[in-house]
Amino acid sequence: MPEPEPGPGLVLEGVSAGYGARQVLREVSVRASPGEITGLIGANGSGKTTLIRVASRGLRPERGVVRVAGWDPYDLSARRAARLVAVVPQDVLATFPFSVLETVLMGRAPYLSPWGAGRPEDWSRVRSAMSMVGVSHLGDRAVSELSGGERQRVILAQALAQDAPVLLLDEPTTHLDIRHVVRILTLVRGLARREGTAVLAIFHDLNLASVYCDRIYALKEGRVVARGAPASVISSATLQQVFGVRADVLPGAAAGRPAVVFASVPQEGSLEPGAMRVHVIGGAGRGAELIRALMERGLEVSTGVLHATDTDAAVAERLNLIRITVPPFSQIDAGSAAECIGIIRKASALIVCDAPFGPGNVENLRIAIHSAREGVPTILLQQVPIEERDFTGGEATDAWRRLASGSAVTPGVEATLDAVEAIRSRGARRSG
Amino acid sequence: MALVALLSIALLAGLGFGSVGISPGTTLRLLAWKLGLAERPAGVPASTVVILFDLRLPRVLLAALVGAALATAGTLFQALFRNPMADPAIIGVSSGAAMGAILVILSGAGAAFGGLAVSAAAFAGALATAFLVYRLARLGPAVHVGTLLLSGIAVAAVISAAISMVMAFSGQEIRSIYFWLLGGFGSRGWAALGAAVPFVAIGSGVALAMTGDLNLTSLGEERAGQLGLEVERFKRIMLATGALLTAAAVSVSGLIGFVGLMTPHILRLATGADHRRLLPSAIVGGAAFLVLADLAARTLVPPEEIPVGAVTALLGGPFFLFLLRRERRSPGAGA
Repeated sequence: MPEPEPGPGLVLEGVSAGYGARQVLREVSVRASPGEITGLIGANGSGKTTLIRVASRGLRPERGVVRVAGWDPYDLSARRAARLVAVVPQDVLATFPFSVLETVLMGRAPYLSPWGAGRPEDWSRVRSAMSMVGVSHLGDRAVSELSGGERQRVILAQALAQDAPVLLLDEPTTHLDIRHVVRILTLVRGLARREGTAVLAIFHDLNLASVYCDRIYALKEGRVVARGAPASVISSATLQQVFGVRADVLPGAAAGRPAVVFASVPQEGSLEPGAMRVHVIGGAGRGAELIRALMERGLEVSTGVLHATDTDAAVAERLNLIRITVPPFSQIDAGSAAECIGIIRKASALIVCDAPFGPGNVENLRIAIHSAREGVPTILLQQVPIEERDFTGGEATDAWRRLASGSAVTPGVEATLDAVEAIRSRGARRSG
Repeated sequence: MALVALLSIALLAGLGFGSVGISPGTTLRLLAWKLGLAERPAGVPASTVVILFDLRLPRVLLAALVGAALATAGTLFQALFRNPMADPAIIGVSSGAAMGAILVILSGAGAAFGGLAVSAAAFAGALATAFLVYRLARLGPAVHVGTLLLSGIAVAAVISAAISMVMAFSGQEIRSIYFWLLGGFGSRGWAALGAAVPFVAIGSGVALAMTGDLNLTSLGEERAGQLGLEVERFKRIMLATGALLTAAAVSVSGLIGFVGLMTPHILRLATGADHRRLLPSAIVGGAAFLVLADLAARTLVPPEEIPVGAVTALLGGPFFLFLLRRERRSPGAGA
């Protein structure tokens, strides 16, 4: 028996694995440390379950190193490996009517003789595992009679009864209602903190992953494409890369961790191929509502120049828009202005929102005038008169009036959308 | 406990009923005398003693032994294949055993049914079939249950056809082979019992020692592996054990269906699925069931004897359909 190598918990290094000719994992390195919950996220078929299988001695990798509590599980007997790593699968077949008590006792199998008589310490472990997940009252019920959620908790109790230092969870909360989701994940986190269990868990719910994980690995097509603390992995850009969906990520909204919202953002598929892009000049949050409304219409949106801490900049970042930002409180520099003009030039329309203008952003109006002269159809959204939001001593008012003379001026978001629609249909007629 | 009482009653009834009736009291006193526990009871004719000890006792014990073997094999196969419909006959192991036995009988190597050579050949046939089916079903790194059952059915069909062809060319032996195939315990005697006992003892001993591991397989192969079972090795041991038990039964009694299918299925309703309780119950229950079935076979239409395989099928079929209907009507109930 080889000496255990340093580094407890679960270590996968450069692991490639698959089924026959089909390679699923490519050079994957993942670490789950004791006392922590490590999350795995990724689309269906990205290799999450295969990774769990490799780590639990269920699929020998073609290449790479697997260490469970310092041991290579493929060097150990199944029995010894089962004392080191416990798995909670998505679901378990219940062909025959085993009782809950009998089923949880099976978790003690790595410690029992082949005929499987439980000793007193096995039974006490079984009972404590059952009470931890709240299935004590189900003891004599047949597992085949339980609901999906109850069965999942029974299987979790079975895995807890294994007393393994490494716990692998394959979507442990799929069938559970939210009360049990919170209870189970809190329990698992407590187990990690108290007993130093290394937990590796697959999550489909990104908000749960964000809140409960200490570290997160994102898998795509069998490779790790992002890893780190939830705050760094749960970002609009990463989620776009991993899942190919646009997510509205609110940094810090979930008690300091990122929160993810999908419903408000149009998805990749809803963008028509070659959808027209509209550039929005906003600021101080005056552009946010319009940006969202434009995206819901299936339009692509770019924005800038914005100060990095501006509300509109935060929205643009969350929605992963093309955007140009400058540091907070600075004046818009010539380089950013030129870059912005370049972006507007390729847009189908420019919308200038009724932001307050001061020395820091009055350059935006000059950019707009320049672009309008270049022939980009321009719309001014004016709900508040320019005089009330001019903090430049008249310069902004002059610029706004010059802009207004050659552009459509609309009194609200709806009217602006109609104006954009008009530009779109003109464009369609011209190209058609 | 109730099952042990049932088996005792079945044994006494099996010994008592027949063309010559022997009362339970007389039977018990004669048994006590043979075991050296009591004096020879007075007033019992010598013919009764001959009937009891040379005809009935070996026959009843053989029925009990075969019932225990088939029920154990059925329990093993059902657990292994996670399918309550699995049975030595369905996966082709019984046919394989029969084929082995018939070949030895026809070659003249085995003097009579139930001889040691026949048992060995039946075991070889059953084992070969079990592993052939296992190999056929083994496409990837693991054996899938559906493929295994289908392979079993296909192999059983081929073997049955082969048996028919062998019988067609067997001339004089055809009648005896035919009746042997139908299944029965008539005039097998103590020799058959002696040939089968060691196999059944070894087979059920191995099975009883692994009841905890049998429980694990019912969760699926992957889960069983995660819980510490060397699944592939365990499956091979169980296949061999099931083949051994089936061969022991087939070589002394022919093809008797439904015992391996029904016994575990019915007893699971009473004991639950845990093999630590189910398997011992199946051994006792299977024995009692087949003793009673044999009793029915030889007493229902005297002086004719119905093949016991027909009796088990007659009893088993309708009961099985009844269970199936009840299970359909209230899913999960009766578990």
